[in-house]
Amino acid sequence: MIRFEKVVKKYNYQDKAAVDNLDLHINKGEICMLVGPSGCGKTTTMKMINKLIKATTGKIYINEMDIEKVDPIKLRLDIGYVIQDTGLFPHMTIAENIATVPMEKGWDRNKIRHRVDELLELMELDPEIYRDKKPKDLSGGQRQRVGVARALAADPPIMLMDEPFGALDPITRGKLQDEFLRLQEKIGKTIVFVTHDMDEAIKMGDKIAVMRDGKLVQFGTPNEILSNPADEFVSELIGGNGSLKIMNLIKCKDIMRSIPNIDVDNSVDEAMKLLLKLGVRNILVTDKGQGLLGYVNYDSLANHKATLKELLKPIGETVTPKTTLQDTLSKMFSLGRKTVFVSGSRGRVDGIITMDDLLKAVSDNDQSSDIIA
Amino acid sequence: MLEFAISRWQTILKMTIDHFTIVVIAMIISIIAGVAVGVLITYKKSWANVILNVANILMTIPSLALFSILIPIMGIGRAPAIAGLVLYTQLPIVRNVYTGIVNIDPSIIEAANGMGLSKAKIMYKIKLPLAFPVIMAGIRTAAVMGIGIGAIAAYIGAGGLGEYIFQGINRGNDRMILIGAIMVSVITIIIDRGLGMVQRRFEI
Amino acid sequence: MTKAQTSSLRLRDVLSILFIISIGVAFSIYVVQYPQDRIVERFISYSKIINAILQHLYIVAISSALALLTSVPLGIILTRPRFKKYSTKVLTVVNIGQTIPSLAIVALFVGFLGIGSKTAILALWIYSLLPILNNTLVGILSVEPSVIEAARGMGMPTKRILYKIELPLALPIIIAGIRTAVTINIGTAILAAFVGGGGLGDLIISGNNVSRWQILMLGATLPALMAILADIVFGVVERRTII
Repeated sequence: MIRFEKVVKKYNYQDKAAVDNLDLHINKGEICMLVGPSGCGKTTTMKMINKLIKATTGKIYINEMDIEKVDPIKLRLDIGYVIQDTGLFPHMTIAENIATVPMEKGWDRNKIRHRVDELLELMELDPEIYRDKKPKDLSGGQRQRVGVARALAADPPIMLMDEPFGALDPITRGKLQDEFLRLQEKIGKTIVFVTHDMDEAIKMGDKIAVMRDGKLVQFGTPNEILSNPADEFVSELIGGNGSLKIMNLIKCKDIMRSIPNIDVDNSVDEAMKLLLKLGVRNILVTDKGQGLLGYVNYDSLANHKATLKELLKPIGETVTPKTTLQDTLSKMFSLGRKTVFVSGSRGRVDGIITMDDLLKAVSDNDQSSDIIA
Repeated sequence: MLEFAISRWQTILKMTIDHFTIVVIAMIISIIAGVAVGVLITYKKSWANVILNVANILMTIPSLALFSILIPIMGIGRAPAIAGLVLYTQLPIVRNVYTGIVNIDPSIIEAANGMGLSKAKIMYKIKLPLAFPVIMAGIRTAAVMGIGIGAIAAYIGAGGLGEYIFQGINRGNDRMILIGAIMVSVITIIIDRGLGMVQRRFEI
Repeated sequence: MTKAQTSSLRLRDVLSILFIISIGVAFSIYVVQYPQDRIVERFISYSKIINAILQHLYIVAISSALALLTSVPLGIILTRPRFKKYSTKVLTVVNIGQTIPSLAIVALFVGFLGIGSKTAILALWIYSLLPILNNTLVGILSVEPSVIEAARGMGMPTKRILYKIELPLALPIIIAGIRTAVTINIGTAILAAFVGGGGLGDLIISGNNVSRWQILMLGATLPALMAILADIVFGVVERRTII
C-alpha cells in the first residue's frame, strides 16, 4: 500500500540526514507504528507520505503510484491526518470541522450532514449535543475523538496519526487506544502511527518500525520485536521487562487449556481416574441439567475421603478468552489463586489457565515467536 | 454655550459629517491596503521586519508634521488629508493583521495543510477568521487615531470639526473651540467603545 | 553585565541616532545657506532655528517632567492596598482619556484658559500624564502576586517590597509609558505654536503663510526627527531596564 524506496531527507541546516536511506513497506489494512526517540526521523517519515515534507531523494509509492507525480492537495484530501494538538479549527463548530474535507471535495449538503452525524456516533459523541459546539467546549479526549472523526470524514484509505493520544492523561489515553482498535476492526484503514511510547506501539501496532538517527533499526510484528530485539537500543526502548510486555500481547484464548467435566453423581474414584487418564489436574463438576456447580482438583481428591459434592470449589471470578495474560496474572494475584477459569458464552467455562501455563507461555515466547502470528 | 451650539447646529452637523466622511474614506482605503500588506508579509518574513519598521517610524512622526510635509508634494485639500490619514493609520492595521496571523497555533495550520486545503483557502477560511479579533483591534486603534488626526488634517484643508477648532483659535472664539473639541472627543469615545463591542463579539 | 549593556546599546541604535541628527543639521544648514528667495532668507537664520528648537524642547521637557512627577507617584498610590479597588476604575478613565485627540485637549485648555505657552504646557502635561499613569498602574499590577508573597514571607517590609520588587519589575513598562508620552508631546508641542506657545510649529505657520516650502519643511522635519530620535533613545533605555 505504502512503499518507501531508498528515501532520504536532508535539511539544509543539518549535516546528518533526518531520514537516511529508508526502505519500508506498509501493507493495506495494517497499523504501522513508527517508534523511536525524538529526532529519530519518525515524524519526518510520516509527513513525507502526504508531502508536508518533500523527500530529498528516493521514491514513495502509494498503491504503486509515485506520489511525486500527484498534486499535494489532491493527495492530502485522500489521506486522513490526525495530530497531537488536534489542530481543530477553533472558530468552526464540531460539525464544520468534521465537514472540512467533504466540503473541499464538493459533496452535497445532505450527504455531509449524514456523514458528520454518522462519524459523531461512531466516536460515541451524541450528534444532537456536540454537532454545534465549538472545540473549546470539549474535553481533551473528546477533542481528540473529533480529530479522528475529521480525518475519517471522506473515508480516506490511509490515515496518518502523529502522536494523537500523546497529550492525554493515561486513563483517557488507554480508553481512546482501546476505542480506536475496536474502530479499526470495523474500518480496516492503512494507518501510519507515530509514537515515542513503545508500550503504545506494542499495544496498537500490527507492525512496528523502530527508528534511530533517521535509520530503520528494526521492522516487525510487536511479538518479533519483543522476543528478538535487533540490538541494545531496541531492548532499551522496550525497557527491562520485555517478558512482561509479551504477556500484554498474548490472549487467554491462545494458551488456555480445555477442561473436562464430570457429573456430580460420580464417585471421587471415578473423578480421579478421569483426571489421570486425561493427564489434567482440574475437572469441572456439573449436574444433570448441564448446570455448572464448581470444580475439584487433584490435590483435594487425593487427600480427602468424601463425595464430589463436598469437595466442590466455586468457580469464582473468570477471565474472557480476549483477556491478556498480564491482566490474567493480576487477576490471579488479586484473587490469591494459582488457577483461573476462562469463561465462554452463556455462563459456560471454556478453559483454564494456571500460573505454570503463564510462565511457560512467556518463556517459550522468548526463544521463538509464533503464538499470535 | 449651549445656546451658541443650538443656534449653530446646522454648521456643527455639517462639520461633523465632513469629518466622518473623510475619516471613513481614509479608513476604507487604509483597511484594504493594510490587510493586503499585512497578509503579504506573512508569506515573506524578511519583508515583514522592514515594512513594520517603516510603518513604526511613520507613526512616530507627529501628524501635523506629516501633513505639512505633504503640502509641497500634494498641495492642500481633501486628497493630501486622506493620503496622510491612510499613511498614518497603516501601522496598527498592518501590525495586527501580521501578528494576528503569525500567532495562530501552528498545529491548526498544520492540520489544515495536512487535510489538503490550498494556501488561499487556508488564508481566508482559517487564518483570517482566526486573526479577526486581533485585526479588529487594530482597526479600532486606527479608527480612533484617524478621528483625532482628521481634526488636525483640517490644517491642510480637510474641513471637518478640526476646522471649527482652528477657526475658533484664529478668531479667538472660545465657544467654537470648546464645541469643536467636545464634539471630536465625544465622537472618538463613541467610536472606540462601539468598535470595542464589535471586537469582543468576534472573540472566540 | 557588560555583555547585557553592549547588547542593549547596539551599534545600529548609535548609527541611527547620528544619522537622524545629521539629517536635521544638514537640512537646517541647507535652508540657511541656500534659501529659495529673499523671504526665506529673511525668515530663517541659525539663531531662529536654534531658538525654535529650544522653545520646543522647553515645552516638551517641562510638560513631560511634570507628567512624570505626578503620574508615577499617583500610580504608586493607586496600587497600594487601601486604594487598589479604585485602580481599575482609574484605568478605564485613563483609557478613555487617551482616546481623546491631542488637538481636542489643547483646544479644551485654550477654551478655558485662553492662549499662551502656559496653556500649551498645561495641556501637554495632562495629555502626557495619561500614558505614564496607565503604564505605571499596569506595570505594578502585573507583577506576579507570588513574587510579592514570597517577599512578604521572607519578612520584607511593604516599603522595601515597593522599592526592591514592584518598581524594578514595573520599570520597563513605566519607561515605555514615558517613551510614548515624550514622543506624543514632541508632536503635540507643534500645536503650541497655534495657541501662542512658540516652538517649531511657528515655522510651519510662517512657512504656510508665506507659501515657502523650505520653511514649512523645516518646521515639519525637525519635530519629526526629534520624535523619531526620542523614540529610539527611550527604546534603548527601555531595553536596558528589562530584566
